[in-house]
Order: sequence, then C-alpha cells, then structure tokens
Amino acid sequence: MSVNNLLENWAQFRHFHPVDDKPHDPYKWAMSIDLDACTGCNACSVACYAENNLPVVGKEKYQHGQSMHWMRIERYWDEDGREFPDQGAQFLPMMCQQCEAAPCETVCPVAATNHTADGLNSQIYNRCIGSRYCSANCPFKVRYFNWYDYPTTDNVWPAEMTQQLNPDVTVRGKGVMEKCTFCVQRLSAAKVTAKNEGRIVKDGEVQTACQQSCPTGAISFGNLVDPESRVHKQWQTQQVELDKDKQDKDEEDSGLRGYRILEELRAYPSVMYLERVRESAV
Amino acid sequence: MIDSGFDRRDFLKVLGWSGAAVALSGCGNTSIEDGRETVVSYSEPADYVIPGIGVYYNSTCAQCDAGCNINGRVREGRVLKLEGNPDSTINRGKICGLGQAGVQHHYNPDRLREPLLRKGDQGETISWEKAYGLIAEKLKGVDGEEMAFLTGGMSGHLKVLLGNYLASFGCKNHFVYEAVSPAVVRAANKKSYGMAMPRFSINKAKVVLSFGADFLGSWISPVHFSQQYAQFRKGVDGQRGVLIQVESKMTLTGANADRWLAIRPGTEGVLALGIINALGTATGEIAAAVKDYDRARVSAETGIAPGQIDKVAALLKLRSPSLVLAGSAAEGYAHGSQNAAAINLLNHVLGNMGKTVEVSETIPFPQMAPSLGNTAALKSLNDGLSAGKYKVLFSYAANPVFTAPGALKFKEGMAKAGFKVAFAHYLDETAMQADLVLPLDSALEDWGTQVPEYLATCAQINVQQPLMEKLHANTRGMGDILLALLKQRRADEYKGYEDYYAYLRDALLKNKSALGGGKIDDDTFWNETLTKGIIKLEGPVGSLATKVGAAGLKLPVSDDGDDQYPLHLIPSVTASLRDGRHANQPWLQESPDPLTTIVWDSWVEIHPKKAAELHIVEGDIIEIASRTGTIKAQAYLFPGIHPDAVSVPLGRGHDAMGRYAKGFGVNPFQIMDAVFDKETGELAMHETRVKITKTGQRVIVVKDEGAAGGKQMGKKIAVRLSTDDVDLSEEV
Repeated sequence: MSVNNLLENWAQFRHFHPVDDKPHDPYKWAMSIDLDACTGCNACSVACYAENNLPVVGKEKYQHGQSMHWMRIERYWDEDGREFPDQGAQFLPMMCQQCEAAPCETVCPVAATNHTADGLNSQIYNRCIGSRYCSANCPFKVRYFNWYDYPTTDNVWPAEMTQQLNPDVTVRGKGVMEKCTFCVQRLSAAKVTAKNEGRIVKDGEVQTACQQSCPTGAISFGNLVDPESRVHKQWQTQQVELDKDKQDKDEEDSGLRGYRILEELRAYPSVMYLERVRESAV
Repeated sequence: MIDSGFDRRDFLKVLGWSGAAVALSGCGNTSIEDGRETVVSYSEPADYVIPGIGVYYNSTCAQCDAGCNINGRVREGRVLKLEGNPDSTINRGKICGLGQAGVQHHYNPDRLREPLLRKGDQGETISWEKAYGLIAEKLKGVDGEEMAFLTGGMSGHLKVLLGNYLASFGCKNHFVYEAVSPAVVRAANKKSYGMAMPRFSINKAKVVLSFGADFLGSWISPVHFSQQYAQFRKGVDGQRGVLIQVESKMTLTGANADRWLAIRPGTEGVLALGIINALGTATGEIAAAVKDYDRARVSAETGIAPGQIDKVAALLKLRSPSLVLAGSAAEGYAHGSQNAAAINLLNHVLGNMGKTVEVSETIPFPQMAPSLGNTAALKSLNDGLSAGKYKVLFSYAANPVFTAPGALKFKEGMAKAGFKVAFAHYLDETAMQADLVLPLDSALEDWGTQVPEYLATCAQINVQQPLMEKLHANTRGMGDILLALLKQRRADEYKGYEDYYAYLRDALLKNKSALGGGKIDDDTFWNETLTKGIIKLEGPVGSLATKVGAAGLKLPVSDDGDDQYPLHLIPSVTASLRDGRHANQPWLQESPDPLTTIVWDSWVEIHPKKAAELHIVEGDIIEIASRTGTIKAQAYLFPGIHPDAVSVPLGRGHDAMGRYAKGFGVNPFQIMDAVFDKETGELAMHETRVKITKTGQRVIVVKDEGAAGGKQMGKKIAVRLSTDDVDLSEEV
C-alpha cells in the first residue's frame, strides 16, 4: 500500500463501514438541521437534559468548562467590524456529529468508543477508563467528561429530583466520558418494536428528544439509507454525500445550502446543516 | 440463534431494562424495612402501570400563560418528561425549554411542604385545619373593602371559584398582576383593531416588521409563533418571509431577523409614522398625522439611516400582505400607548387587516375567560396597602416583593396589611413577608382548567390533570383551598363537593352539551376530555375594526436626555427566566442565555463603543444607579444594543426561594422608577434612566462561548447565504 494509494482512496480505508460496496443495512442514522429555522431558543438543549439524565453542574464547574450539555447552542457574530450585528446572530446547535470515521474512536486505548452497525458512534460507559484521549481528538468538542461523581458526592439530584431520571438511560459515575447518543435508547426501543413486527423502523416513528421539542421543526432525524425518509431526501436534494470530504456541488455555485462542519478533516459527520439565509432586499 | 435473525445483543438490552426497572423500586428502600411502606409485586401493578413501559397523559403546561398542551411521560407512577401534545392547535407537539423544566418545579427539593405560621422570624408548622380556622378568624367582621386578593393571571374554574369567594364578602379587590405583560399593547389593539388580542398570522405574512415583539422568545405565545415563523421562513408561494426587527436591545427574535435596526430608545412610534410617510399611500387623517415625519426628521430622532427607512418602506410596499407587531420594547415608555397606536396604524395603512391581523374567536363562557394580569393592578394595590386600607391580604401566583419596581416600596406597604396569607410553592420573597404561608400542589399533581389569552385557531379550554400522585402529603391544590374557604362562607352551596376534582367534573358535565359532548354519557365524556386534554369549542367571533383614525395620536418630542442619568435601562425579559418565578429550576439557570451564553448570573449588556468610551471591559463589575437605587453586576460587551442604553435581564437576583435561585445575580426590578404609561396607567418598564460607574472589581464571566467571544477563525462553521444565492423552491 503506497502512501499515494492510501491518500487517494482515503475514504475507503478510513471508513469503518464503507458506503459503496458494503452499505449500511438496514439503518444509518443521520440528522439534518436547518439553520434558517433554528432560532437558538435552547428547547433542544433542555430536552436533552431531561431525556438523558444530564447533571446540572453549577456555576463554579461551568466556569471550569465542565458543563455537561450534550446539545449546546453556539452563537456567532459577524466578524466584519460593523457597529451593530444588523443581520442578527448565527446560531448553531452542536452535538456529537456521529462521524463515520470518528477521530475519537481510533485513539481510545480500550475501545470504549466504537462504531455501531447502524452508524452511531457509541460510548460504552463501563469500558471507559477516562483517558480523555477521545475528547482531545474530537474536532467538535462535544465529548463531556465526568470529573465528579455527580449523582452521589455532588448530589446534583437532591431529594425527589432523582425521580425525574429516565430509567432507560444510565446515570454516569465519575471518570467516564459521555456524549450525545442520538437518543439510542429510543432507537433501540423502536428497532425492537419494528423487528417484532417483521419490518424496519419507518420514518417519523422515532424522534430524538431535541427533534421532538424543537418549536420550529429545524431538526430532522432518520434513517439515511431509507429512500422514503425525510433525512435521506434532504441530503439528496442538497447533494451532500456521506463518504465525501469535498462535495461535488461545492465546485461551483450550486444554490444549495447543505454542508457539514469541518468536512475537510475527513471525519465524515452524520449531521448535515442547512445554511442560514438572509434577505438581500433589506 | 443468530441464523434465525434473533439479535442476542438486543435481547440482552431488553432483559437489562426490565431488570433495572425492578431494581429501581426495590433497592435499599428503608421505608419498606421500617414497615412504613409495603412491597407490592409488579405481577399486580396498579391500573395503567406496565412496569418498564412509559404511559403518556395529556395535561396543560403551567410554566407560563400561553396554555400549551402537554403530554407527560409517566413510568412506574413517576412523571419523567414533558412533551408537547401533537393534537394541540397552540403548540402542535412542541414545547420550549421553560415548559420542559416543569418537572423540575414538581420535583424541586425546595418546595414548601407544610403550612407555616409566622412566629417572630420563624415559621411554625401548623395543620391545615388550624390554618383554615385562622383565616376564618382573621376575616371575621372584615368588610369586603378591607380585604384584597392579589393573583397572577387567572382563568377557568379557579377564577370562577375565586370570584365566588370574593363575592361572598362583597369584595371587589381582586388585583390581577403580571410583572411582564403586554397590557399596553392589548389596550392599543383594542383601540386600533377592535379587539385586544386578534390572531396574528405570521405564517401568512411575507414581511414581518416587529417593533420589539420577542415572539420567538417570551412574547404571548412563543411556541405557537415559533411554528408560524418556521412556515413563514419556508414562505408563501416559495417566497421566503422577511423579518425586520426594530428595537434598542436585541432579543432572541431580533437575533433571527434579516435586518435588525438599533433604534434610539422610545422612538419606535416616530419610526412607524416615518414609514407611513415614506410609503406615501395614506390618505386623510392619517396622511395629515404623518406629514411632518419626513425622512430627515425621523432619521435624526430614531438614529435609523434614511436609506434604511426607504428600503423598509419599499419592501413593505412590494410584498403584501405583511404584518406589523408592537411589542414590549415599544410599549415600555410613558408614551407607550401612543407608540403602540402609531405602530398599529401601519397594519391599517398596509392593508393587513383581515389578512394577517385576523379576527379571533372568544371563549363562549365569559366567566371562565382569562383575567389578564397587568401592572396597573399592582399600582392600585400598592396605593391601598400604603394607605393601610387592608386588614387581610391574600397573594397567589405572584411575587410582588420581588417584581414590584423598587420605587413603589411594596414591601413596606405590604407590612401595613393586618394579616397576610401567601399561597406558594416556594418560600419566595413575598411568602417571607407573609403571616401565613400555605403550600400548593405542583401543576403536575393538581386538577384545573385553563383558557389561554391567545387562541391559535379556535376557542379552547385546556384541561390540567395530575400526572402522578402527590409528592408531599401536606400540600393542597389552589382549587381545593378555595373550595374549603368557600365552604366557610357558603356551606350549603358547596357541601356537595368533596374536593376540587368533584367540583370540576360536575361543572364540566353540567355543560356537557355546550362542550360538544351532548350525545355521550357522562363517564365517556369525562374520560375523553381527560384523554384529549383539550376541549375545542365554537366560540363567538369578534369583529375587527376596518378603519381607524389618527386623531389624538401625539408622540412626544424626544428629549435630549438626562444629564445626571444619561443611559436608558432596558430590563430584558429572557425566554427561560421571564419574571423570575421559575428561577429555582436548575435547568433554566444552566441553560445559557442564547445571545450572551451567560449562565447562573446576571450581566449588564453594554455596547462595545460605549464600553470603550468608559474604559469598561468584559467582567468589570459595574454599578448601575437610578433615582431609585443601585445594583452591581458584571459587564458584558454586547454589540446588539443601542449605545445609549444598558440592559440587565430580569428573573435573577432572588434573596429567597431556594438553593438554585438565592444569591445568583441581581434584580433590576429593585432599581426601577415608578413611571407609568399616561393612558393605561401601566408601569413603563423602559423609562428608568441610569448612570454607570466602574467599581474596580473584575470577575471572569461564566459563559458558554469561548473566552475570545466565539469566533469562527475563518472556518465554515455557522454561515449564511444571501437570498440572491439560494434557490429554496426545490427543498424538501
């Protein structure tokens, strides 16, 4: 294997699940987020706290960068030095991009983070030894480490608050890494139901918590290899291909707004964003 | 096994789940060992409980007054998560962060659990019998004029019961107070549209021009408007809707605008008249009213460039229908009514009446229609209290000691009331001043009906039902309390009702045919009502004003400012904390403010230009002084604010309430001057003038964005396209 061959056919070597000759079957979970619809309201983030038993760390730990928001809203201003941001702000919901060739997976010394057959980047809590290499290697900074024992010594769920915890999701202890799972507990439940009925999960049958709450319906989620799914149609319309690190449509002005963040790093994220649009006439 | 298609891993997962569910209920439960509780086998679960399976019940969100219909996930008898009810015409299956935090209100460790009677500085636990007895005793011989009942916005059967209770004393002193309410806009709408709350169809508009209406964040019915907004962006006939937001401090809605215009505080009405002038289509009285508002003058007064005024007018002319909204930023001045009237005039001039400003139905049962909160009520209550008029004061769903503007000195006035009863969830600032504090059930364990002020498509009554058993034995629902109090007054009339549930059921069944259940039997109707959580009704339709005059429209000449207090204070209403009643819900404290990304604290927004002038950098502790008082908070350099203004968010700065609220941030209500809108008597929230000084201290601002303020460093992270460069018509 020459270096040239390796570089030229990087996608093929890099992918855990090559898309062309061995497609994901029957599932490849993916997302698309319309930034023109996203208002930055934070409903998705709170939904994630409720669904996935995320601890509220408090002011001091937040200051230390130890917040545990699997789903966060990033806010950017234009950097052109105008007096006022007169075209508003840029909001970006950011969570684990479930990369197909995830940089976090290759560095885990104990294979606690790995790829599932349905295209998720999974985290096995009781295999994790807390090396934090994965977090260091994540270009999106969406991995969150349990520096403290939040349920017990930190008592983040005092008294009756424990009763709110979702029994379908593990409460993580000190020393493990965690991140967005695309609400895998919901996916598993839906897959079991579908399997019992001898079919695959239909589009719309399962929603992630963030998608379900989103007041503007900016988030779509589904099975990318199901041609009937909304997510598949959106990716196709936007001509964004999962296994490319540079999309053909970007060669010229396509009038399409689908893109993936830091695509050039060849992580092959499973989340496509649709660019925000701003009116030119005013 | 694998050959037969049976996935061993999935099998283990399922097994693991049910195993975990059993372990949860059994593990280390000492109350069972003590014999205080008994173990009930899951082979005989309670009705509708399937171990390991979530069941969904419909109810109504009580976190704000928008009346979103919710769907609570209940497992093993515990409510876990709130979702939107997909059949709701208001929120259509969606829910905001504030709404979802309702579970943290319910499970809050700082909730009041026992009735407390003041003994010096301490609260002594007493029984409900004693508490009711005490209220009866204190009310003995008290004239209806000598008692006052303060509440937040109220509707449904609770309002009916309260009305009956007050009527039994001949008491007319029901003060309905909401610290943050669109009361001036309601009054202006009534005048210019013929109804206080018409239906605003954002989804039908091609252009929305909003004067400080934060309809995506905190204005009236944000989840409903957010969905309309999503449709509006997708466009009518493929033409994407354009949002123009005019305000002095950027709100969440402003941050999503195509064009955000920083206007000089208080000159919103001037700009509205200037746009009418620039449109040039008005005739008669209106044309006469705007003839002096030429581009040069308007630009000079508002600070908006003349070219921009032309562009806005041209777009409005080109794309019809549009929709113009007057929001809280425009109404917050002594001339707020005039501002709102001038803005509303635009909808008439642009021909939006009946197209995007539409008639709304009203609820066919006027006794259940919402009593809308406002701040004029607080003023009159405060006047009465300071005059020592009231022997007994009740307070429910309001926290005026925290939210009354400092200049009113509400706390001192309240001390003059003879006996003060607070119905409360927490020992908040108002409850701390009360003589008797009665603990309430949470909204997730109580019965109720609610009628939203803003009706999305039809008249509707929202049903609230308990999603689980009460957490605490000695809390009571407000309905049960009012019923018990009514039994003291009119025992014969109410003796048939064992509790509020019985009253509610009876009241709804009596009107079964009017509620659309004429042909079905009582039990079926009741069960269906609870299953749906919404009673949709045909209500009488109001009528819209087709013509409006401009007579009496008089905007003040903008003043040159105030030498001593040169800056405007804009107390901002955030989507998650609002007036601060939910500050003890930790998800909301740790949910970053969308615009500044700050958590757990208050901040002072100041324009970078102004900050440079005053040598202020991020994290400097700033003292903000008004004529009423001073507060200190960390500075945050924020480009989305007019340089003549500073802004501090409302909702934080509690000195009571609970562990997640107390001691975090400052309370700008404290330094608000008592200036009122001249027409409606509403508190002018934006009229307080302040000066700022550096204290010399500096802190690190705790925020989600990076220390450098969140830069993209030339990478394509969050980017945008101009409408010229994109074709939206083919999109899925």
